[in-house]
Amino acid sequence: MDVDFIMEIEQRAAALDGLDYFEVLRLPQTAGADEVKAAYYRESRACHPDRFAALPSPQLRELIARIYRRVNEAYTVLRDDAKRPRYLADVTGPDRAKKLRFTEVEETAVKDEQKKKLEEQFGQTPNGRKLYASALKDVEARRWDAAERALKTALMYEPANQKFRELMALVEKSKPKADPYKIR
Amino acid sequence: MAACSDADGVPGGQGAWNTHRLSANRAERQRNSMSDDIAVGIDLGTSYSCVAAMLDGAPQVIPNEWGEHTHASVVSFLPEGTVLVGNSAKKSIITNAQDTVYSAKRLIGRFFFSDEVKKAQAVMPYKIVEGPNNSVRIGIGDRVLAIPEISAFVLKEMKAVAETALGREVRKAVVTCPAYFNDNQRQATRDAGRIAGLEVLRIINEPTAAALAYGFGKDIHQKICVYDLGGGTFDVSILEIGKDVFEVLATAGDTYLGGDDFDDRIMSWLAEGFLKAHQIDLRQNKFCLQMLKEASEKAKIDVGRDGTARILVPGICQTPEGEVLELTETLGADQFNRMVMDLVQRTFKVCDEALQSARFTASDIDAVILVGGPTRLPVIRNSVRHYFQREPMTGIDPDQVVALGASIQASALLNAGAAVSGQGSYLLDVTPLTLRVGTVGGFTERIIDRNTPIPIEKSKTFTTSRDGQERVKIRVYQGESNRADECEMLGEFEFAGFRIGYRGEVQIQVTFEIDPDGIVNVSATDLESGQRAATTISLSSGLSEQDIRTAIDKNAEVALAGHSGSPSP
Repeated sequence: MDVDFIMEIEQRAAALDGLDYFEVLRLPQTAGADEVKAAYYRESRACHPDRFAALPSPQLRELIARIYRRVNEAYTVLRDDAKRPRYLADVTGPDRAKKLRFTEVEETAVKDEQKKKLEEQFGQTPNGRKLYASALKDVEARRWDAAERALKTALMYEPANQKFRELMALVEKSKPKADPYKIR
Repeated sequence: MAACSDADGVPGGQGAWNTHRLSANRAERQRNSMSDDIAVGIDLGTSYSCVAAMLDGAPQVIPNEWGEHTHASVVSFLPEGTVLVGNSAKKSIITNAQDTVYSAKRLIGRFFFSDEVKKAQAVMPYKIVEGPNNSVRIGIGDRVLAIPEISAFVLKEMKAVAETALGREVRKAVVTCPAYFNDNQRQATRDAGRIAGLEVLRIINEPTAAALAYGFGKDIHQKICVYDLGGGTFDVSILEIGKDVFEVLATAGDTYLGGDDFDDRIMSWLAEGFLKAHQIDLRQNKFCLQMLKEASEKAKIDVGRDGTARILVPGICQTPEGEVLELTETLGADQFNRMVMDLVQRTFKVCDEALQSARFTASDIDAVILVGGPTRLPVIRNSVRHYFQREPMTGIDPDQVVALGASIQASALLNAGAAVSGQGSYLLDVTPLTLRVGTVGGFTERIIDRNTPIPIEKSKTFTTSRDGQERVKIRVYQGESNRADECEMLGEFEFAGFRIGYRGEVQIQVTFEIDPDGIVNVSATDLESGQRAATTISLSSGLSEQDIRTAIDKNAEVALAGHSGSPSP
């Protein structure tokens, strides 16, 4: 193993904590999904621990393992459509130095964001969501009475939900006007 | 070096392929093994094991002196103190039932209270007892052995098979395990290797090894699915192969589903039929049960190969009046398929899960590789063809492909030259299960998601909850439920030696690392001082360093029957 190589590994390991994930994978911040994967393969070929398993020095092997763990960390964040935008905003923002690694704090933030999006779409309570989902199915199958029943109950859980109200209005409009159970 | 692919015609006794090696004197052999080290690949299976090595640049399965390529993972303890392993030990399941251990892999790394262990206790003829920390032990006579000690005998046999064929000492190996194995099971597998006197270079996943054997040196760019139905476990891995990079995109599995379960179905059917005809339940007697099990396994293989199986077990039991009864039945393919259809369906639920995690549909897959003996059954082949809408690959023997892949990896790990020139192949594997820590009220919190590439690390900060607290304890789990009791506990970690302060003031950063073997390491540092905290592990079912050392010595003392001069029966 030549000295240049050892120097390179040591330098890379030492610089690791100052790099963002794009720099770890040697990628521009605009890189697409294909480029992320290609870069991951390139870095894997370069510093996969298996390649250096026969190195006699355990210190050097640990440095390589450390670099490669960070490569994997970078890849898991940059390939994830939900995490990547958040990460990009973090490292281009004012707190860049503190946000180089995607930690539990950011993870929870992303999760909360997704949850909020989901709630906006399908309701805030578990029961409300369930009823709304079944109402959507009923509307599709044109079972208007069932849809109305489900939505009425859903609105009891979330009276202010705009989505629920819109669907209710649609159901009321589409429902056949004549009441088949009425005794003439 | 002598190739050893054509061993089938070799007469018993010393194999012909190593005679020229034996003529070389010992010193020369010693020098040889120093200059070009060798490492083998071992597929440590539930029912059968297999060993392979890279010879002259090509992976090859190493047969034993009898020309057998796969060896039953059965360990029989003989009265004279030696241990018989392999296909001849399998015959002892009936004659020496109490002291013959098989399917030990079903128990490896499990807790004594787990369902799998309870089930094994009911059907296994050997004694399963409880060890410290809810671990599992096997009682043989007045000896008590841990499961890794049993598996170590299988590995020792594989080592001996390789050494006899190659005519040199083998000390290094890559050992495979099911992709869906958790940390406890992986640790136990690694311990087994150490106890057998092997340096385990790497634990690799069986489906990944199979993919490597399939794509090695081929320069292909494909998305493949490995369907691995073994004796006791089922795994599915979705991989993307880009020339020399083998990226596992997702893996899913069921460690409670395998060929044994197919046998069980035939067994129940036979036993029910016998009960109706003779009012005797064969399952009540462990001796009858073994004969029944053997007949069922044979019937499964026959029905798969010939489309029908004739079952005949003479003298399976005696009536109270002393009349000797025999068991005769005929099993047709349709009937067999109906018996096992739900098991086959279960495998495709797992396939669905793996494809979904990889964000693929079945039609995105370019090739399907079948691994494991049961995948020879037409019912499996047809279902796989139907599910993926393509013909599964049948080029490589499903019993040997894992060992071949492991041997490729073993030779790559040994070869420092490949590192410099950048030749070789890179296995980018994932962790199969979500890593979690226990929180209050019996719940858990995610740390590292499943299907995350490994090696990886992640940190989490914990604080003290009382003034002047000296220790912080965390429990680590693996599983997909947020409830602790539905996950597998890996152990309790206790950190001490950090600064003492008011509650909430001391922050301890705990780092969870999953290494390339898929094994979890936990360490902690005091965030303010940067000082590493002392870590102790408890409540773990694994063996301590001391246990392993004792086991290594004990294992070295026990001779394998049928090797080094003493002829096999």
